[in-house]
Amino acid sequence: MELLQLTINGVALGAAYALVALGFVLILNATGAVNFAQGDLVAAGGFLAVALAGLAPVPGILLLPLVAVLMAGVGLAVSAIAYWPLRDRPPVSVFISTIALGIIIQNGLNGLFGAEPRSAPPLFSGGYVEFFGLVVPHQSLAIMSIAALLVGGVHVLLTRTQLGRMLRATAQDREIAAALGVPVGAMVALTFSLAAALAGVAGLLLANQFFITPTHGTDFIVKAYIAVVIGGWGRVGGALAGAMLVALFETVVAAWADYAVATGLLYATMLAILVLRPQGLFGEAGGRRA
Amino acid sequence: MTVRNRVRAWLGRDINPLLLAGAIGLAAWPFLAGDAYSLRLLTMAGIYALAAIGYQFIFGHAGALSLAQGAFFGFGAYVAGIMSVRMGAGFEVTFPAAMAGSAVLAALVALPALRLRSHYFALATLGFGQVVLLIAVNWENVTGGANGIPNVPVLSLFGGTVGRGWPMLMLVWSLVAIGALVARRLTGGLTGAALILMREQPMAAEAAGIDIRRIRFAAFLLSALYGGAAGALHVHTVRVVSPEVLEFPVMVMLLAIAVIGGRTSVAGAVVGAVLLIHLPEWFRPLERYYLMAYGAVLLAMIVAAPWGLMGSLRHARRRWLPEPDPPLPAAGPTQAGPSPARLEIMGLTRHFGGVRAVDGIDLVVEPGESVGIVGANGSGKTTVLNMIAGTDRPDSGHIGWAGTEIVGLPPYRINRAGIARSFQTLKLVDEMTVLDNVAAAAWREFGRTDRDSARAAAMGLLQQLDVAQTAWRPCGALPPGLRRRVEIARALIGGPALLLLDEPAAGLTAAERDSLARTLAALNADGTTVVVVEHDLAFLERFVARIVCFDQGRIIADGAPAAVRADPGVIAAWLGQPPGEGDDHG
Repeated sequence: MELLQLTINGVALGAAYALVALGFVLILNATGAVNFAQGDLVAAGGFLAVALAGLAPVPGILLLPLVAVLMAGVGLAVSAIAYWPLRDRPPVSVFISTIALGIIIQNGLNGLFGAEPRSAPPLFSGGYVEFFGLVVPHQSLAIMSIAALLVGGVHVLLTRTQLGRMLRATAQDREIAAALGVPVGAMVALTFSLAAALAGVAGLLLANQFFITPTHGTDFIVKAYIAVVIGGWGRVGGALAGAMLVALFETVVAAWADYAVATGLLYATMLAILVLRPQGLFGEAGGRRA
Repeated sequence: MTVRNRVRAWLGRDINPLLLAGAIGLAAWPFLAGDAYSLRLLTMAGIYALAAIGYQFIFGHAGALSLAQGAFFGFGAYVAGIMSVRMGAGFEVTFPAAMAGSAVLAALVALPALRLRSHYFALATLGFGQVVLLIAVNWENVTGGANGIPNVPVLSLFGGTVGRGWPMLMLVWSLVAIGALVARRLTGGLTGAALILMREQPMAAEAAGIDIRRIRFAAFLLSALYGGAAGALHVHTVRVVSPEVLEFPVMVMLLAIAVIGGRTSVAGAVVGAVLLIHLPEWFRPLERYYLMAYGAVLLAMIVAAPWGLMGSLRHARRRWLPEPDPPLPAAGPTQAGPSPARLEIMGLTRHFGGVRAVDGIDLVVEPGESVGIVGANGSGKTTVLNMIAGTDRPDSGHIGWAGTEIVGLPPYRINRAGIARSFQTLKLVDEMTVLDNVAAAAWREFGRTDRDSARAAAMGLLQQLDVAQTAWRPCGALPPGLRRRVEIARALIGGPALLLLDEPAAGLTAAERDSLARTLAALNADGTTVVVVEHDLAFLERFVARIVCFDQGRIIADGAPAAVRADPGVIAAWLGQPPGEGDDHG
């Protein structure tokens, strides 16, 4: 029973991580570059929710679309500042430029909000439901449903719409896509804003149950990366499964051993996967990494 | 020999007067400032400079974005701090222990991580750093946990103490000087050129006999040695062991120093460290936003000046104060290569998905032969070449060279066995001179520092290929025809017994084709076996005695040029048009 309870908590956490990892994978596919600021965008989304809630004390669900839209704008800025000028350089340049951008975001948040942990309002209410002895907070249910909606929405966008086809064409081969008339620059910018919106929403969702501090960003990016290593690059489903696994390590394994041991085991798992199955547990869409 | 010449010979390059002036200025600084706080800041700058010089080995020279340098630095600090607090060990023990400890750690990480590419490597090393931090925080009995261990004693060396202020400053900067000289020696001369080739054109470097994995491994170990050394100095300067040294900001600091100062220049690491350590002082009016400004500087540098301050300085100097090219070096001999041998290919196949690119090829090339391989696009010519050279692996079949199986050997081993190649799409370093593009490929033959002999050998080949006049020009400035010849010169510098050329005449004018055909005929007459993939039959007929025609991964004709040209199968599958007008694209 305790295991089931922990699993439910883990799935809620994993749902939020999945949004972060999804944004990470979308950018990686579209540009071949790592957006290291993705974790700091999560923190930014969380603090944005905190600030908005301070202005108008409404439930999180009303803040959510606003946070998503504002963060999408931030994503555009990220692509314009840290990606576009470096688009023809080796991908490692973008890695470094987004590290720099992450420092700017992190310390900007620290200057504005201070280093204290803050909490955003719950999506609906702070209550919980009980069935068969399991305690499930409303927030956990809300996180799972919102994340499922968003991941499903992104999946439909990518597979069923013309825009999605253009996005995927850009991810597959930028030069060919451009030759076929796909506005590649706009597609990359759109990918960045989508990824930032997903990160922002994840920040809002996480900032209620788990609090948020400006330095949390590094944690999030490392977790997104581990999720993607485990799940396999370039696959939405892989990133999702990886995110769930990371979250289950943090809840179930951490309860069974302790947090440090669980984290150590998680890294060991990641390294083992890198060595033994570099394409990830669920395979890789394209490209080589070793 | 004057002192200057001696230093020059040891370093393998000249001393820059500007750098000398900078070093003297830096040395004068503490005398002018003088207060305890400035001394401490400069000591810190030296410590970070040492760690950054080390970081340049892997990040700058090997071109791999490692995010583990902070972990090596912190690990060194923990090793030295714990040993000196708990065992009372002196610096003469803790310093080598910290270096060795970090190097052992690096060897362990290298095992899974070093073969990963670009950002996968970066994130794997980041993850490793997080594990080290996690252990430091949680292994309380040994590390003191989150609080660390206070009261690390003042540095003691062979029983005497090295106090704060001036003594520590002198010790740190002496070690920086030693570290800088060693780094310049290790990366100077011909090695510098080889490192650029390996970074910019890894496939070409492997094809020139350079073992990239080994060099990357060495660079990673060196970076850890320097990181550990700097960490040991750090712990005696801050006098406390704390998890802070393992946290991400330390890594970011080292990365920023290398990016802002310059990725491959020792002076850049020193300049970057001095600047970045003092940045908080200068940004003090920004109060708690100063770290934002630090991020902004890093971002601005990576966008506007990716090669850092030293790189920009070098570019500016080349632009505004161009120096006349030195006289062309005299031509010298290439080193004798392996003796001629027989190439035997049996039952070679290679499938890409459902496509049978190579579908059972048997081919024997006798020593001293010259063979042309022709066929339609996609008939498997380049794939066979790639499999001989080791850049691709067959699904089945054998390739024998001098009686031994070479399938499965890495490209650099195949090159060392006497097989050299050129690439269909040129793989030259555009920013490097023609001369050094060729000389770099002789790195293994001529050793680390004998750049002059390697350049002389390169010069001889450039003359042979009629491109000697361009020796000092950057490759990127040459027209494609000349660049093809530079690539052939590079393939020849190891004195190969077998030369594989992939469409060497593509993009060449008629006159250039004539001259290339003459050169290849002369090479062949000197005993080099030549195998050339080409579309231009008329070009091939000028120097090959035998032509092999591929179609859909199989050999459909093999014999004298006239016979192959008249073969009905060849006409149906490939020619179908008047010979000699084959297209130039593969």
